[in-house]
Amino acid sequence: MSKNIDKLFKDKFKESKATAPTEAWPVIQAKLKMRIINRLIYTFSVLGFLGLISFILFSTQTEKTLSKPLLKNTSLKNEVILKDNDVKEVKEVDVNNDKLPMSKPQENSKKLYATIATKKESKNNTPLEKTTFFDKKFKDTVIEKQVKKIDSLVNNLDNLVEDLKNDLKKEKKKLLKKKDSIEVEKFNNEKRRRWNVIPVFGALNSGRLSKNVTTLGTTRAVTYPDKYFDDNKSSGLISSTYGFNVVFRATNRISIQTGIFSKELRFLTEDLFLSEFIPDVNPTNIIYNPGVEVRFSNTPEIGGSESASLAQTIVYLEMPFELKYRMFGSLKFNTNIIGGFSFLYLNKNEIRAKTDIFSRSIGRASNVLTTSTTLNIGLDVEYHLSKRLVFNSAVIYKKHYNTYKDYNNEYSPYTFGMHVGIGYKF
Amino acid sequence: MSAQAKLYSLFADKLFNVCLKYSRTPEDAQDTLQDSFMVIFKDIKKFKYKGSFEGWAKRVTVNVALQKFRKKSIIKFDDIEESKIPEEKVYVDVEEKEISLDFLLSLINKLPPQYQLIFNLYVLDEYSHKEISEILDISVGTSKSNLSRARKLLKKEIDAIKKLQL
Repeated sequence: MSKNIDKLFKDKFKESKATAPTEAWPVIQAKLKMRIINRLIYTFSVLGFLGLISFILFSTQTEKTLSKPLLKNTSLKNEVILKDNDVKEVKEVDVNNDKLPMSKPQENSKKLYATIATKKESKNNTPLEKTTFFDKKFKDTVIEKQVKKIDSLVNNLDNLVEDLKNDLKKEKKKLLKKKDSIEVEKFNNEKRRRWNVIPVFGALNSGRLSKNVTTLGTTRAVTYPDKYFDDNKSSGLISSTYGFNVVFRATNRISIQTGIFSKELRFLTEDLFLSEFIPDVNPTNIIYNPGVEVRFSNTPEIGGSESASLAQTIVYLEMPFELKYRMFGSLKFNTNIIGGFSFLYLNKNEIRAKTDIFSRSIGRASNVLTTSTTLNIGLDVEYHLSKRLVFNSAVIYKKHYNTYKDYNNEYSPYTFGMHVGIGYKF
Repeated sequence: MSAQAKLYSLFADKLFNVCLKYSRTPEDAQDTLQDSFMVIFKDIKKFKYKGSFEGWAKRVTVNVALQKFRKKSIIKFDDIEESKIPEEKVYVDVEEKEISLDFLLSLINKLPPQYQLIFNLYVLDEYSHKEISEILDISVGTSKSNLSRARKLLKKEIDAIKKLQL
């Protein structure tokens, strides 16, 4: 069907129902406010300038009014002096100069001059005081008016700036809400990939809480849960942990994390002796392996002893239950706080004797409980390598509870470790 | 609601339509709309109730849009003597329902700036050639010749697209 091209365009544009974008009005409002502010600033500047000019003018006028009567008085002085022919010399005399020449005519002139000077002073003073008072009053009123105007302008300006600030704050809130909704949308879109399995390896620095023991008036910190070793130095060694975490992203910010780990704790107690002779007194909490003929002692035995250290290794099967809370992050990078606990099941309990020559498993600790728990707290960083792969790194502190029999958590071990892994999201 | 807000809510959509015709992108149109309202609010005292307020506001908007258009585009009008310009009507063979406003806008935006301006002013905003010649500081003949070329180009585009669809 043929149609005139002009009519085609006209009709279509008449039908058009395009709506103005919603962002346009806030921008116009802000611009209007800025225009008012600019106007106020301009008025403020003009008034300030006028105030300054008027102040300068008034000051100049005051100076003039001050100088005019003085000139009149000078002429008056000349007039009076010229009329009196006897006292011509007087015009040369300074008013303030008391040491006048003491000739007769001069004496007369002095008297006359004193009279004139008194008259002059009284004539000068009265109009001068009146002018200054009037000027001052007038100037004060003008300045007060200017100050009031400026005050009202400043108040208006403050209100406008406040309004503008509020508007901008509202806009900011709106944008932040928008950002949140985008994140929620993103989360909803990613719902399909809420699970994450992360094989993890960690290096741990283990230690034990110390207990203060006093012997013969001397107090020292003891960290090995066996009275026999109270005088020996005991410390934690670097150990390891490995396993995998399973993370479920429950909400945009909260994830639940569990997994299975093998966790190792290692301690070294030094300055001991290994003797073939079996003394009556020996560590109460060591069960020696069958066939092991040597015993630890903290003093060398008569039958011959060798310097040795006691290396204790405890390995647990660990099952953590942790919550991760996302503090801040971006599309690629997230930082989470981790908090939770772990159930531990004893998997290995070994005591080795270490000398300069050999290291040999000789028994196990009898006071280590089969099950125990830890309280976990840490900081976790995630970096998205791709849509499915996530690099995960966490620093976690774990405090052990219920580790040893009969010690009521006095020598509780703790670990502080760095865990790393690459997870797969599905 | 302030008087300015009321005025805005009454005329924003209509004026935005005007802005769209003279802008290459919706963002440009929004800028023009904002600037136009600033001018309208500033010069509202100049409206002397001769004709409708809407007409006056549209003229202000067209002026603002033209200023912006000139800043962004290099405009060189084709000069032709008035006597050589044939008065002609251009027809296109289309079903009106098949054609969207967006499509027509894209066609207008494809035109060289001088044709786009004159076509918008004459056809869509109903300015006379004399008024156009005054606004753009060109002769009436130039206005007519550029309009004629704009029409032909538009027809060519529409025909080409129609052929592609077939």
